[in-house]
Amino acid sequence: MADPFDAALDLLRRLPPSQTQKNLAGIISLVPDLEEELLSSVDVGLTAKHCPKTGRDYLCCDYNRDGDSYRSPWSNDFDPPIDPDDVADLIPRGRIRRMEEALNAAVDVYRELYYEGGVSSAYLWQLDEGFAGVVLVKKGASAGAAAGKGGWDSIHVLEVTEAASKRSAHYKLTSTVILDLGLKSEAVGGLELAGNLTRQQEQNLAIHGLREAEVEQSHVANIGRMVEDMETRMRNLLQEVYFGKAKDVVGDLRSIRPLSEAEQERAAQREVIGKMNR
Amino acid sequence: MASKQASVASFVESAPPGELSNVVADIKALAGNDASLLQSLEPAFRKYNEEQYATVKLPGSSEAVIVSEHNSMGDNRYFDTASQTSFQVEHSSQTASAVQQHPLESSNADLIRSLQKSFSKAAAEHFPSSVVGIYPTSSDSDIAILLVANKYSPQNFWNGRWRSTYTLSPSSGGLKGAIKVDVHYYEDGNVRMSTSKDVDVSNASGADAVVREIAKAENKFQEELNRAFVQLSEGSFKGLRRQLPVTRQRVEWEKIGGYRLGQDIGGGRSK
Repeated sequence: MADPFDAALDLLRRLPPSQTQKNLAGIISLVPDLEEELLSSVDVGLTAKHCPKTGRDYLCCDYNRDGDSYRSPWSNDFDPPIDPDDVADLIPRGRIRRMEEALNAAVDVYRELYYEGGVSSAYLWQLDEGFAGVVLVKKGASAGAAAGKGGWDSIHVLEVTEAASKRSAHYKLTSTVILDLGLKSEAVGGLELAGNLTRQQEQNLAIHGLREAEVEQSHVANIGRMVEDMETRMRNLLQEVYFGKAKDVVGDLRSIRPLSEAEQERAAQREVIGKMNR
Repeated sequence: MASKQASVASFVESAPPGELSNVVADIKALAGNDASLLQSLEPAFRKYNEEQYATVKLPGSSEAVIVSEHNSMGDNRYFDTASQTSFQVEHSSQTASAVQQHPLESSNADLIRSLQKSFSKAAAEHFPSSVVGIYPTSSDSDIAILLVANKYSPQNFWNGRWRSTYTLSPSSGGLKGAIKVDVHYYEDGNVRMSTSKDVDVSNASGADAVVREIAKAENKFQEELNRAFVQLSEGSFKGLRRQLPVTRQRVEWEKIGGYRLGQDIGGGRSK
């Protein structure tokens, strides 16, 4: 019998990606023990929340959640407030918080440059040997009826292991982009193209500088560059899968050109080649 | 328990083309020893097979035939007009048995027979592999025209299905229906394309004209679909994330604090 966790992931990879949230709840109702593990490993569409203190929007995920409360990266406060006894464990401070603030500011600029809108957030937390984090970007588009509707959510989970020498660090990045596109028109009826792709990358990158502030800045730059490279790569991949692959599969199912015509042409070609070889 | 049943039933009903057995294996791994839960899936299997135009091979025949509500006789029996037989379907295994004679009785019998011939021939011109079915409707006033084409490539992590459904009214020459295409791609991800396009043609009289109109409508749909991919790619996809910033340069992360938003970038910030 297959492992239930693997079966759950396999099932979610097969069922309609637009229904992942609902299917996740269904799987958890079957096997309640899987809840925690599934919620931390299955990416679902991001939701934005308004930070009452700073007036800025931020993104919610499992990594800034405690029960029904979410931590704003701008104010570092949970909303609604959580039990003060838990605050010490759940709110980053010192070096981690300084890097988190710098990363949020950097990703904000990055987002404006590439997305020209949308919302972004980054969260970091301490690990025994290094630290971990997540970079989130969400953008919706409604470019009018002819161009269709669309939504992009990217989720970059990273694990950073720092070398004892402090001269370099190992970065492991797992990135998922959830892309939903749709079009409704007289000519094509209803067209839905929805889904997600996940890719991983690991890299050893140099840390420049010796002062703590320089090391922190180096981490932010390394993470930023890795996220930028990965998103650019995934954007190309998404373009290929969503528009190239989908079209090819439809073309494999049905040929616009009569198959007998294509067959005649191939036969004629074979004949020409046959004559040339004689 | 009711909600568990509803969940697993919805898993079966939304299984991608060619992946029903994988979905069922996953459900079994999740449901463990809950035999009654698995048994409760029978209606979901029937719904999936009838909606997705599952094909079965009749015992002793190499030809596949369609399972749908259009050729259902109730009690899991279905009829096939081409072979003039009826058969029993075991929905969870998608197998047919207990074949019996089932002579075609319809006031449109001649038209059904000619459609059978010309539609099969026309389908072969566009679909490398497909199964068609022509059935009198339950009131016998109309004729249902069905086609299903599947292409499965699990080794390359994609599967696809094309379904056409038309209802022809011989008295008025009206032809109405829908084309549905479903594509699943799942290499390190899960991407699903689904389309549904209504077709409405008038003045389709005679088998050859009907078949010609269908091919015309389907060609037009497929051309429009190919255009829609370009539209989405150039439209909303482009509007989500740029390939490069407006500056045409990658981000200088070491100097990120020096970017003056709204001035260097050209766009205003709302916050």
